[in-house]
Amino acid sequence: MNVKSLLILNGPGLDDLRRLDSSFDKDLTLARIEQECGKLCAKYRIAMTFRQGNVVSEMFDWITGDATEFDALIINPIGYYSYEAYEKFEQYRSAIKMLAHLKKPVVEVHLTNIFRHGADLIEPLREPDAQIGFICGLGLHSYLLAIESIAQRSQGSAS
Amino acid sequence: MSGGKKVRVLNGANLNLLGRREPHIYGSTTLAEIAEACIKAGAVRGIDVEFLQSNYEGEIVEWIQTAIDECDAIVINAGAFTHTSIAIHDALRAFPGHKIELHISNPHLREKFRHTSYVSPAVDGVVAGLGVGGYELVIRLLADMLDGSAGSSPSA
Repeated sequence: MNVKSLLILNGPGLDDLRRLDSSFDKDLTLARIEQECGKLCAKYRIAMTFRQGNVVSEMFDWITGDATEFDALIINPIGYYSYEAYEKFEQYRSAIKMLAHLKKPVVEVHLTNIFRHGADLIEPLREPDAQIGFICGLGLHSYLLAIESIAQRSQGSAS
Repeated sequence: MSGGKKVRVLNGANLNLLGRREPHIYGSTTLAEIAEACIKAGAVRGIDVEFLQSNYEGEIVEWIQTAIDECDAIVINAGAFTHTSIAIHDALRAFPGHKIELHISNPHLREKFRHTSYVSPAVDGVVAGLGVGGYELVIRLLADMLDGSAGSSPSA
């Protein structure tokens, strides 16, 4: 599997990272994440599309509508933790399921450690038939590690 | 070059069977091969990587305890202890350095009894489902973090 294009999707609330408990980096902004991800993708010659949306149905359309346009997906589903967020989160499942059938790699990322927020408020995507990587709690590096893993598998240097 | 920084990689129950046990889930790479790759990746960056495995929960607990004085970071794939061990949770909370939970597969996509991790709330971050390559990626990231240069790319 050769990954030439990557879609990075950021869900509701991630336009303003100040509302996250960002002990890792107080000054981190979504613009800086986009910039750093862009640099790393350029290194691996991967074309990156970076998007943020506050409406899950819109994001659903981005995933399913553009599925033929990208080879891999990194998704940060949500930027705040509440029961309302949890309901929205579930809406991603069918879109992710579709990607799984297309055998496109998906990595779910979170800036913070979601298990410290109380696992009942937000849970990782569960789609048993899919190959979904999961990274949380590493701040900006959650994204960068996800890109590295996609590049690593793309180059076939590790299984 | 070496600042004497040390990373301890801990592997729990059944990880010694890697390569032979359910290869459709865990792959055909052995733990010895992963250890070699991690030690090499650390050495290149001036980091001492210590790679350990045990099928005994208490031994993992003691390796975390001694790491408090001996190591700067812990990477832990506790295997099935992940879902049962409050003792490992408590030991990890006592460890002040960087600590990352690692899994080869993504436990959240598997049986329900793997959905709860006692390790996750006690660590900084979780990396799962990236295959055996996840180990080396985490070592590279920690090497950069311990070097104080983890501002941009973890591989740079």
